[in-house]
Amino acid sequence: MSFRDWYRADRLPTIYCAGCGNGTVINCALHAVDTLGWRWEDTIFVSGIGCSSRAPGYIRTDSLHTTHGRALAFATGIKLARPELHVVVFTGDGDLAAIGGNHFIHACRRNVDMTVICMNNWIYGMTGGQGSPTTPRGAITTTTPYGSGEGVFDLSALAVAAGANHVARWTSYHVKELTNAIDAGLRTPGFSLIEVLTQCPTAYGRRNKLREVSDTIEYLKTHAILLQRYNRLVAEGKPVPEDMFTVGEFVRRNRPAMGVPP
Amino acid sequence: MKLAIDSSRCKGCNLCMLVCPYRIFKEGKEQNERGIILPELDRPERCPNCRLQKLYGRTLCGLCQMICPDQAIRWDDEAKNERQKVEVEF
Repeated sequence: MSFRDWYRADRLPTIYCAGCGNGTVINCALHAVDTLGWRWEDTIFVSGIGCSSRAPGYIRTDSLHTTHGRALAFATGIKLARPELHVVVFTGDGDLAAIGGNHFIHACRRNVDMTVICMNNWIYGMTGGQGSPTTPRGAITTTTPYGSGEGVFDLSALAVAAGANHVARWTSYHVKELTNAIDAGLRTPGFSLIEVLTQCPTAYGRRNKLREVSDTIEYLKTHAILLQRYNRLVAEGKPVPEDMFTVGEFVRRNRPAMGVPP
Repeated sequence: MKLAIDSSRCKGCNLCMLVCPYRIFKEGKEQNERGIILPELDRPERCPNCRLQKLYGRTLCGLCQMICPDQAIRWDDEAKNERQKVEVEF
């Protein structure tokens, strides 16, 4: 069985724009779930509102498409009622960081046994390109026409601080590493966040000189710096290149988790 | 096995062109009936996955299939007694 069997073939092609990274992330997530040997009946995908949250509609397992930002609250409910189910949450940056911010912090704090895959495309793509908490400084969106002047939310650092058991960040270009990270997240009991930076050529790239899909992929490829290399540069006191983001596994620990079947 | 692009799913983003280490995908020229320019295959028999997938019993490289956001890339079995071209790059 391959990950392609997890798709609802009658629902494809997806509604995503050409070159959207969300499809890649679903591929990687399903591949990880498939190699673990989980069954359709025991796996449930939960999502909120947004482009990323359309994902469970294309997967043949049971799923919940919930209210905006509240996917983690619903997933916590599932995990407490039926701890034997495997819960995977697909969510976006607007869903997780902006509207569901508090749910996110407290799901990390409670360490509920679930895997959260956050497709961070730096913008609210579905509603027309409004700036989100993860929009980089200086980026042009419909709500920040002169460039965003706000600080950027670092979701991975937030999850580490709030007490999640496994936190990793990759991009939609690094498919193999992303699959391995999701696999590690699914195996870890307790809360696991995998933040995936994806391209959004329609809402973000079009306004920020990344119009072609290859431009954003090139950006993700050249601006990602591995966590180990970043730490080495800092330890040696060498300058870290500007506007790079770290990728890799930030934390993996064994704090007491909630909702783990006995 | 042979490489195939599902023309009903592909949206022409050319991500496969970016990641294939063998440069099997190249930019297409003609639009299909949905107005999408599909990538063309340049000697797909060079793909190691086509030759060795059955032998090893697993997907070897598979980067194009994993990165394809529209699940349009697949490997098909050959028909019985179908003639196969073989090309190996060193």
